[in-house]
Amino acid sequence: MLIEFTLNRKRVAVEAPPDITLLTLLRDYFNLTGTKEGCSVGECGACAVIMDGRLVNSCLVLAPQAAGSEVITIEGIRGPDGGPNDMQENFITYGAVQCGICIPGMIMAGEALLMHNPNPTRAEIRTALAGNLCRCTGYQQIVDAIEATARSREGNR
Amino acid sequence: MPRFDYVRAGSVAEALRLLAEPGLTSRPLAGGTDVLVYIRHERAPFDRLVDISRVPELKIIERRGNEVVVGGAVTYTEAAESPLLRQVAACLVEACLTVGGPAIRNMGTLGGNVVNAAACADSLPPLTCLDTMVHLRSLAGERTMALSEFIMGPNRTAIRAGELLTHFSFPVPPDGARQVFIKLGRRNAQAISRLSIAAIGRLDGQGRADYVRLSPGAAMPTPRRLTEVEAMLLGQVPTDELLIAAGVRSAEVMIAVTGRRWSTEYKEVAIQALAERVLRRVLVL
Repeated sequence: MLIEFTLNRKRVAVEAPPDITLLTLLRDYFNLTGTKEGCSVGECGACAVIMDGRLVNSCLVLAPQAAGSEVITIEGIRGPDGGPNDMQENFITYGAVQCGICIPGMIMAGEALLMHNPNPTRAEIRTALAGNLCRCTGYQQIVDAIEATARSREGNR
Repeated sequence: MPRFDYVRAGSVAEALRLLAEPGLTSRPLAGGTDVLVYIRHERAPFDRLVDISRVPELKIIERRGNEVVVGGAVTYTEAAESPLLRQVAACLVEACLTVGGPAIRNMGTLGGNVVNAAACADSLPPLTCLDTMVHLRSLAGERTMALSEFIMGPNRTAIRAGELLTHFSFPVPPDGARQVFIKLGRRNAQAISRLSIAAIGRLDGQGRADYVRLSPGAAMPTPRRLTEVEAMLLGQVPTDELLIAAGVRSAEVMIAVTGRRWSTEYKEVAIQALAERVLRRVLVL
């Protein structure tokens, strides 16, 4: 079936079977492999993307459910120069990235949080990341990086 | 060859027509957080999913007189963010905030949680405490039944083929009633309830309980209020002694329903402590 939606701010249309997930659609039909497949059952958050302003696990969204929606993947998160944005820079600065497989989902969860709550407490950041598993960092540095991003964006407002 | 087809409904009427279309088995798709996990390992028990997640009539949260109406396709996030539900159904809001993580709560729906009818479903204790009615519609007409009758057992409900859970309704709890929900899981997020419990309570001017509702989750095969425990407390001053006895009685009621199962050794002491704790929070100032 024809699935039309907005992907990283571009209108797209793709012919795909109705029984695949949004995760498969992104990775195999658009070659956007930044979105990772972890558990495939909504436990780990590695496949998290933003759909219509809300964080979702793309492994639990049927591809045609995205029709008419606005989807942002990690490939749609970048700075004005095309390089890393401020949150991605902060992940580097704060040592929030080790093996890296959870990071696209972590960035999406962080961006989704700041869209709704530009000035979160540390507790709110932790709640926002509750569905994203990281087996390397112990989360502290990830929380630090998102907190620093929120503070600097607030300062620039 | 796709395993199933997908179609999106724009209204309840269209959804019902699509669900009843002869020659193929159609099932509603709301948030998909249960359906997509299920079809990873099991053959899809349908030929087509009818996406009801964007049907405006199924997204309502509103007060009608002394009743609150909540649409079947309302997500946990939408429920938790609703000013009305925060005001009159705090135990439901608390329960919604314990479901999965943010990404699950953004997709999963109250209707889906109830129709899936897992014994551990987090919305069931608060909805039961609130005396929720389930409203169903099909091309044949409408049916309304109590939530406790709608759920017939773990993953079993009274819903019929071609029927849609359109909305829930419950009376606004009395002014000043306090509400609590507690869940025990293996961790604080992304956890399936091992045991949960919701309570609503209020004291009169003399410090006696004049309104008590108590309902545990993941404790019994079908949700129900612990009316035996509620009766112990009604009209009484909630002393330590009485609250402890209420906890003990909660465990007795559970065991009378389920018998002694493999998990009872744990659940007996856990429900006792949880019941006492939630009753204390809603009845002791």
